[in-house]
Amino acid sequence: MTPTDERELLLRRVRSAVGKHGAEAGGAAPAEGARNPLAEDERLDLFERMFLSAGGVIFRGPMEKVMSDLGEILRTEGVAALFFPEDDASAREIAEALVPFGPFHLTTGAEVRGGSPAVTAGFRSAEAGIAETGTVVETSAGGRTLLPGLLADVHVSLLPASSVVERMDEALAALAAGPPRNISFLSGPSKSADIEQTLAVGAHGPRKVIVLLV
Amino acid sequence: MEPGAKAFPRNARKALSDPALQAALGRTTGRFLDHRAAAVAAFPEFEATRERASAIKLEALSRLDVHLSRFIEEAEKRGAVVHVAKGPVQARGIAAQIAREEGVALAVKSKSMVSEEISFNAALAEAGLEVVESDLGEFILQLAGEPPSHIIAPAVHKSRAEISELFSRRLGAPPTDSIPELVAIARRHLREKFLSAGMGVSGANFLVADTGSVVLVTNEGNGRMGTILPRVHLAVAGIEKVIPRMADLPAFLRLLPRSASGQILSSYVSILTGTRQAGDAEGPERMHILLVDCGRSAILEGKYREVLKCIRCGACLNSCPVYQSVGGHAYGWVYSGPIGAVLTPLLIGLSEAAPLPDASTLCGACAEVCPVKIPLPDFLLELRADAREQGLKTPGEIAGMKGYAGVMKRAGLLEAVERIAGVLVQFFTKGKPVEGLPHPFSGWTERRDFPAVAIRPFRKLWKARRGVRE
Repeated sequence: MTPTDERELLLRRVRSAVGKHGAEAGGAAPAEGARNPLAEDERLDLFERMFLSAGGVIFRGPMEKVMSDLGEILRTEGVAALFFPEDDASAREIAEALVPFGPFHLTTGAEVRGGSPAVTAGFRSAEAGIAETGTVVETSAGGRTLLPGLLADVHVSLLPASSVVERMDEALAALAAGPPRNISFLSGPSKSADIEQTLAVGAHGPRKVIVLLV
Repeated sequence: MEPGAKAFPRNARKALSDPALQAALGRTTGRFLDHRAAAVAAFPEFEATRERASAIKLEALSRLDVHLSRFIEEAEKRGAVVHVAKGPVQARGIAAQIAREEGVALAVKSKSMVSEEISFNAALAEAGLEVVESDLGEFILQLAGEPPSHIIAPAVHKSRAEISELFSRRLGAPPTDSIPELVAIARRHLREKFLSAGMGVSGANFLVADTGSVVLVTNEGNGRMGTILPRVHLAVAGIEKVIPRMADLPAFLRLLPRSASGQILSSYVSILTGTRQAGDAEGPERMHILLVDCGRSAILEGKYREVLKCIRCGACLNSCPVYQSVGGHAYGWVYSGPIGAVLTPLLIGLSEAAPLPDASTLCGACAEVCPVKIPLPDFLLELRADAREQGLKTPGEIAGMKGYAGVMKRAGLLEAVERIAGVLVQFFTKGKPVEGLPHPFSGWTERRDFPAVAIRPFRKLWKARRGVRE
């Protein structure tokens, strides 16, 4: 039997099964009720609260102060190498400015993907933030790489305050018309409680996720 | 997976006398329930969201043919190849063929319940592939050669000492009693696999019809690794996973993590649409989606349709006194707890799983926590009736129930039976609880005493009381 036949047979089986229940079995689900949107400062506060409760770290405020704090976190985490997308000017700027706070050296996504054993921090600008869940949205749209939020031991996500939306619906609506291959929601560090229900971070992805709200 | 659901009574007895399992179950289910309760209490929209999610799933199921075709069309428009399998044998064949045609030697896999249904890993192993489970719990079980025992915490029955022993025996890792160290050992081992695998295999939490997207929800990030790094992505999904629109997704994302682990959102949600696009920095060149029927269209046709609303959160397992006592393996197949007791008979046949619908006290806790409002206790009762109709109950059980019904329907007869029982019990136990009943009732008193039958029945006491008041 050819694949197309199997497909047609499946749809036929399903059509016949559905028909047994009549038309009233399930109409269109009701849309969500209207809501009063939060003001911008409330939205950013909600994002911060939710991102912290998901185990994330967030910095808001003047960059000079942030750089030394961030450098200290990276040193504490044992980070040796920093990487960022070639075409991401803001990420490059922050990573390069951090070098004096380390001993850090710069590396590339390709090297990390090649299996380099160095402890890394990956920098990248986020496309959006979602306040209700404390989520950073990063996508493959426009050929952008996702490796800094995937392979790094520490991920630093640069999030413009203006791109933080209140609800998931808004973030998805902006992407649904022409979805990129990969829409990634990241809410806090990679975690697992698979051993004795004890939470451990850094199961596969970053053990620390830091948002710089800019 | 070979079904062993018929052995539930024996499995359950074994589980009840396993102290390590009992400790693990107590620890896990209680914690999940507490976290869930806290998350729900902190989310005032929970009830409204449940209603909405249930309505969306009903809508999807009521026109599943339309939504499935739309999903297939949109996914293929964006470069995916969609395959369809009616049963496990076809599904295994297609999976093996995809692996062969893509020339894959190593596949990394994230958690997928439906792949357990079709014994996916065995199929790829027969085709000469190495398949590595990448969810930490599943990885541990793969090394141990055991099936998962909980939908979202598959290795809940394993202690850290057992895991350390397993890692040193199978991976040559130094023994440790530190959980972070065990996680780090698995991370290092699996990272190498992710970077060299030719194919990433995933399940799907949701399939979005209007964009052709596959949605994955994980905490570890293994699902994301396996769908970005390898050249080929194969997603395996049951046909009931389809939701009509991307706009429907938020309702489910608000319910699933809260119901499963009490999180507001799992660390990773990946919405994967088609193959990598021109100019993309990474992502798979090839995407296959294997849609599996395996009995679902038959369920769709009948009175149990709503069980297909399930989003596999595991809340009903944690809330179920039977699951809390016996754990997942006792159920003998892929799904356990109340959802397993309903789904297993429907997917593999009631005669293959006859004891499961009886593995419930009908307390209703599962229906209370179900985020998509599946009437699980009603379905369990209905399945018991089906079992009776299909001749799957023993003559003794049928005679017993008939006798019980006969007595309960006649007040005079009931009173007579009560009186006789009262006298007999007084004679044998002198008013103390009954510690051991003769066969076939001995099971009842194995773990608890049967209360002594009162000499004066309740109705007598009630009459007397009322008499005083009047």
